Amino acid sequence: MIRVFQCEDTLTGIMTGVYDAWDSRLGHGQVRLQTAQNMEPELFCEYVTVFPDLVKAEKVLRTIQRRMGEEAFEMIAYASSYPDDRKADALYRMIVLGLHLPDGREICGMLTQPEVRLVFELRRKAWHIAHRYMGFVRFRELKSGVLLSVIDAEADVLALIAPHFADRLPLENWTIYDRRRKKAAVHPAGKGWLILEEVEEACFCSQKESEEEARYDALWKIFHQAVGIAERTNPDLQSSFLPRKFRPFMNEFSGQQEASKGGRDLL
Amino acid sequence: MEYRIEQQKELSEKLRILADAAKYDVACTSSGVDRSNTGKGIGNCIVPGICHSFSADGRCISLLKILFTNECVFDCKYCINRRSNDVPRASFTPQEVCDLTIGFYRRNYIEGLFLSSGIIQSPDVTMDLLYQTLWKLRREYGFQGYIHVKAIPGADAELIARTGYLADRMSVNLELPTGEGLKVLAPQKQRSKMMAPIRQVREARKQNKNELALYRHAPKFVPAGQSTQMIIGATGESDWQIMKVAEHMYQKYEMKRVFYSAFLRVNEDSLLPVLPGGPPLLREHRLYQADWLLRFYGFGTEELLSEENPDFNLLLDPKCDWALRHLDRFPVEVMGADYHTLLRVPGIGYRSAGRIVKARGLGTLDYGNLKKMGVVLKRAVYFITCGGRQMYPVKLQEDYILRNLLDGKEKLSADAKDTSVYRQMSLFDDPRFSV
Repeated sequence: MIRVFQCEDTLTGIMTGVYDAWDSRLGHGQVRLQTAQNMEPELFCEYVTVFPDLVKAEKVLRTIQRRMGEEAFEMIAYASSYPDDRKADALYRMIVLGLHLPDGREICGMLTQPEVRLVFELRRKAWHIAHRYMGFVRFRELKSGVLLSVIDAEADVLALIAPHFADRLPLENWTIYDRRRKKAAVHPAGKGWLILEEVEEACFCSQKESEEEARYDALWKIFHQAVGIAERTNPDLQSSFLPRKFRPFMNEFSGQQEASKGGRDLL
Repeated sequence: MEYRIEQQKELSEKLRILADAAKYDVACTSSGVDRSNTGKGIGNCIVPGICHSFSADGRCISLLKILFTNECVFDCKYCINRRSNDVPRASFTPQEVCDLTIGFYRRNYIEGLFLSSGIIQSPDVTMDLLYQTLWKLRREYGFQGYIHVKAIPGADAELIARTGYLADRMSVNLELPTGEGLKVLAPQKQRSKMMAPIRQVREARKQNKNELALYRHAPKFVPAGQSTQMIIGATGESDWQIMKVAEHMYQKYEMKRVFYSAFLRVNEDSLLPVLPGGPPLLREHRLYQADWLLRFYGFGTEELLSEENPDFNLLLDPKCDWALRHLDRFPVEVMGADYHTLLRVPGIGYRSAGRIVKARGLGTLDYGNLKKMGVVLKRAVYFITCGGRQMYPVKLQEDYILRNLLDGKEKLSADAKDTSVYRQMSLFDDPRFSV
């Protein structure tokens, strides 16, 4: 009988799952971790729900950092933010493997192990998304001077991009709202950033934009138009670098989106 | 300029004119510097750089790329802003550039500023205006984002030196690969004058490196290095000549990047070539591919091209082309070959080569692993063995590999297609039936 530990889809949740699974002393072959809630249950499995526990998670993370090194630690943190049903189990297997190595830091190079390779891939994917959002986030200035941005990210990137923006705009009040997860990264001017969970979009978006905003918005659109070279127009290349899913949140495309939608309606 | 009677233009109009005039500059990179915010101003930089948007031509928009002014005393044949052209002219003030940069930067539209300029009155005056703008932005506004600025050839060395301490990257465009081409199309520019600021920046960077070794907090001089740009296809240079110049710039002047820009006919001039097929984009692409081979793969120009064979094969990328001409070096055994040999295999890039070297010390590789590690087996399969086996039996024959390598996705121009390898088949010379 395999015991399946169902964890919450966060770093804390998964790490608590790792702790509980190991602590169950059933043997690594007898336990499995999963994050998906609505997976088809299997017959010869016993299901246990894991409640995220900060103390347990921190113990695991500290051990990872000490025994497997900073790179593996970062790899695990990044991979846990990418939505993939296999990730919780892969992270568990990778940690088991890493802690059994004489030098746990070697784990990052063991790409022949399927679990490690999966974690490696997820880390890369999460980093790609985070890196894209570092560029594609668009702030609007509200009447109160707060800079607000709304995103709809595939991976849970808020905690990955917030340090970057906190460093970049230390003297600004800014907020990045993740519509899909109803989370917001909030940064008060001159202070550290924090993440608010379970907030409604209306809390942030009810305010009007400042007067300056429309002017800069127009200037940016002018610049974006002017800088393209007509003889080299290549929309395929543009969409491969900047897929359409990002565009509804980027002001330089707001006019074009409506125009193309209108065109489609006519057809 | 007293005789010029013109209304003061709106900021939006100026931006339209001066961004439009700056678009022919290729460089829009924001990479090469790692700088955290001091906690007092605005902005930071990260090493890989960040792209903030992409324009309709698929080029990245990372920096606010503008000319300070498009008034110019020069009359270069290929340039839209040449003196004899009747185009609307505009100039920013340093204040306006700062407002735009900060306003855009706060909203995360851009990664920094790319400031170039036409030559207004004299090189010294122009360079001084650029310096004033940068000074204002850095010192008054506390801007710590990326700044790429043009060094104006012929300007006072002191001005260039001062500007270098405010900028992250400086560049001087070579414009045309050879001095002869320059004489024809830009008679007022001289190669020696252009090289002076490049040489100056190189020397100053060397000196700055020593200073930084002694004093950690010494001001940094052009920390992201310099770059340059050449127009491709305006004059009759061969790829070999162009790559020679690029290699020289990388080795002697420690350039971070050399950019290639396919010639666009923006002016009517009898000295400029007519290109009915549009700008030579594929040729430009091949040059960039070769450029990467020079910088990351340890290739030399002499290996890729020669005086007898001066142009790249438009059908194949330069690495495949090289591999096909050196089939005696293949197949390469993935489990045993050293890093530099792996780098020369088509389909293996510097990242996947690094991963292979790391992973094979800790376990045995197979083709499934290789694919997962990012090796492009479509190309690599002809050139590698893994554990002594080929993935599936392939012949190490130039004809056979070439036919399978041709990439249908690349847009080949009409004349390139004509020289393709298709030919009339006969029953007896099909290579698959050779004994």
